[in-house]
Amino acid sequence: MDLHSYPQGEHGRFEQILNQFLLKSLHIILDSRVPANRPSSRNGEVKKSDKWFNLALGDRPAAMDSLSFWNRSLMEPMIIDIILVQESPNYSPDHVSSSSEMYTETVVERWTVQYEYQRSMAPQTGDASYKKTYKKSIILLRSVYSMLRLLPAYKAFRKLQSLNRNCDFDINYKVCSFSSPFSRTEEESMKKYSFIPVDAQQGRLLVSVIYRKDLSDFNLDSFVSCPPEIIIDYVGSPLTEPMREFPSTSSEKGARATSFPIRGKQSTPSPFQRPHSWTSGLHRDLSSLPNKPFSGSPPLNRSPYEYSTSPTDIYIHKSQNQRSPSNQRTTFDDLLSPPFSPSPSPSPPTYISGGIPGRLRSETAPMSIPHPMMGRSPRYLSPNLSDPNRHSLPPLSPRNLKFDPSSHESPSGIRLMRKSDSLRSGDLSSGSINSSQKVSRDAKEDSGRFSSLLSSSSSPRVGFSRSSSRLSFQEDFGDLDFSCPFIVDDVDPPDNQSSQNLDGRNSSEVSSQASSTTKKSQDAAVGALVHMLKTAPPLRQDSIYNTSQSSKIDFDGEVGAVSDFFKPRKTSDALEELKVYKEMKDLLLSRSASHMASKEKT
Amino acid sequence: MNSEVCQLKELEVEHFEIREVLRCILHTILFHRALGLVRPKDVDLELFEITYVQCGDVELDRKIDDKIDQFIDRVEKHPNKKNQICLSFYEVKNKQATWFTNKVERLYWEQWYINLNVAQHPKGHFGKSHHSKVVVDRGDTAADERSARRAALEASLRDVLFQIIRFVNEKKDHVPPIPNLEGVSFPYEITISSSSDSAFGMDMFKRMLQTGHPTMLS
Repeated sequence: MDLHSYPQGEHGRFEQILNQFLLKSLHIILDSRVPANRPSSRNGEVKKSDKWFNLALGDRPAAMDSLSFWNRSLMEPMIIDIILVQESPNYSPDHVSSSSEMYTETVVERWTVQYEYQRSMAPQTGDASYKKTYKKSIILLRSVYSMLRLLPAYKAFRKLQSLNRNCDFDINYKVCSFSSPFSRTEEESMKKYSFIPVDAQQGRLLVSVIYRKDLSDFNLDSFVSCPPEIIIDYVGSPLTEPMREFPSTSSEKGARATSFPIRGKQSTPSPFQRPHSWTSGLHRDLSSLPNKPFSGSPPLNRSPYEYSTSPTDIYIHKSQNQRSPSNQRTTFDDLLSPPFSPSPSPSPPTYISGGIPGRLRSETAPMSIPHPMMGRSPRYLSPNLSDPNRHSLPPLSPRNLKFDPSSHESPSGIRLMRKSDSLRSGDLSSGSINSSQKVSRDAKEDSGRFSSLLSSSSSPRVGFSRSSSRLSFQEDFGDLDFSCPFIVDDVDPPDNQSSQNLDGRNSSEVSSQASSTTKKSQDAAVGALVHMLKTAPPLRQDSIYNTSQSSKIDFDGEVGAVSDFFKPRKTSDALEELKVYKEMKDLLLSRSASHMASKEKT
Repeated sequence: MNSEVCQLKELEVEHFEIREVLRCILHTILFHRALGLVRPKDVDLELFEITYVQCGDVELDRKIDDKIDQFIDRVEKHPNKKNQICLSFYEVKNKQATWFTNKVERLYWEQWYINLNVAQHPKGHFGKSHHSKVVVDRGDTAADERSARRAALEASLRDVLFQIIRFVNEKKDHVPPIPNLEGVSFPYEITISSSSDSAFGMDMFKRMLQTGHPTMLS
């Protein structure tokens, strides 16, 4: 963090504490909820940046690395959603479109960390005030740390971690400055816990969590210990015999069971009667995809997490520009225990929705379906698509734009898969093609990608200056000019045209497709993606899915028969099955209706 | 300086559960009170599906284990009493040496009382039976009871942990300034008392009257 960049005096110290508090809490939450690939490097010397709040957590999670933090206003709350993603046919009326029924995304926890400014409070003066704040925030973070292990979602996290993500569920996260409220049904199943606020300079630090009380609905346990089994009673694809009765198909369980034969521990035997034979027909299915190829993807149309307002972003942007110029460092070091020396610059955390890419994708298709994280972005992007003034991609500064010509050749989603190692973001939907391409360029500097997510509602957010994006996690900054965080960014908020041009400059045909889709409706975006998929080279050649994702994905059929049963179902397959179910359901309903009618007569 | 006291919810434990339960609670409290630099370490309980956090301080672990051993000894010696562990944090105030003493005064600023009621099974409870079938039935019910009891204890233990977190959050003002130390920053002591002590008895009695704890009343 760069002390130069904070105004001197009390206020500067407090800002630094606040900034670090936000970063630390994000670190704690992500560490406790999102399984990390890297081994924890706890042994050895504790980095200076890690000493904040006397809680040495080790390296920051990869998830955080890919989040770029820009100089946001510290007044903005940081809202971290922990999302449980499951593949399952979902007939819940909550979902708007059928494309959203393939994945169930449920916010199991929502953490809110914010500094609440209270004008009424007299400004605390003296050295002691921020010291007290610091001490109390140490305690607060300890209790947050403990609480994370007591909440129900911790179990899911451990499961996911221990199984190396070979589960049928995944945990994703999203960080933003605001969030849509929960629906009533969701609220009923959730409970709130608020940590006691810590008094701070003219305000207070608030941490609270809304969490789902009970995760047993998600059947997380049932998919854990199923050993591979050979399906003896091979049923065949439902497409061949759509009306075939599946024994012991109960109302809702059955539907689910048959969808996921690999989920062994279903109570009914039907799961094992549903083959994964259609995986071999993957390519065929892909080409025959209907207009909603991304049903498997985190729903394009859903999500309560939509970014809905641009004013906030604009505010952030403006407030950035109003930051006071950096001043020389004060004797801050002496007063606080964490390392304050020339050390890590603080850049106030920026909020970008993120996700561990590829995690869910590993379960599903190699299709360039929006990654869960990115999948949400289409949601955010949808406003972009319909609003000509918005862009799926935040216009990035030229520094952030590294056009990758090679990415033209294959569907961007798949292309992105190749980059997923460094990216942590799996496939991206066509809606976010631009962002995905840019993301692929900016492996570590996710500003493009994440900014796209965040700025779905507004373009101003774009300005993730690369320098500022580096700020947060690097040790020595020295020269950061805090006052003009967007100095490297070319894009001005109102200048949508230029940003569009930036998009247009992307010479990939895919991106041009994508940029044109920004003006079209969501459906058109989907259609574009379908087209892209149809023209995509065979997925078979892509071994990238094995890289960042679990090794379960293997379309080549090289895997033995046994492991075939554990191939994640592809979205197209699920879609087909969904249709079958619908037909079955209709049939059953009609039968029961006729039965009822005959009953009445008698 | 205020002194805060926290009486944790009483737990009914079996003998073999004492160690895990105590470790969990003591470490959790200390994690929230060791405000020096700490590398948190997650520890899963074996008997319950609970994960608690340790400070990662070897010295601390050793001290806690020693105390738990003492507690278990005490329980074995005084089987039918309620036992209590008190974890206190204090500040050291050096008093001026007087003629007679060079006392170092301890100013306790926080005290935690962990109340355990160690269940004593009457011997031969399930052993004797005239009928083998009855034994089997008893065994089943015993197993059911055990698992029910275990689940209840897990829920109670979780409650205790939530209680600790709540207390730690609510009361922050009395915490002294943090010295520049690693790990456990404040001196502490762990004392064991059982209901045979008169003071202990009075405390328990008062608590019982205040809270109307069902186990006391039955």
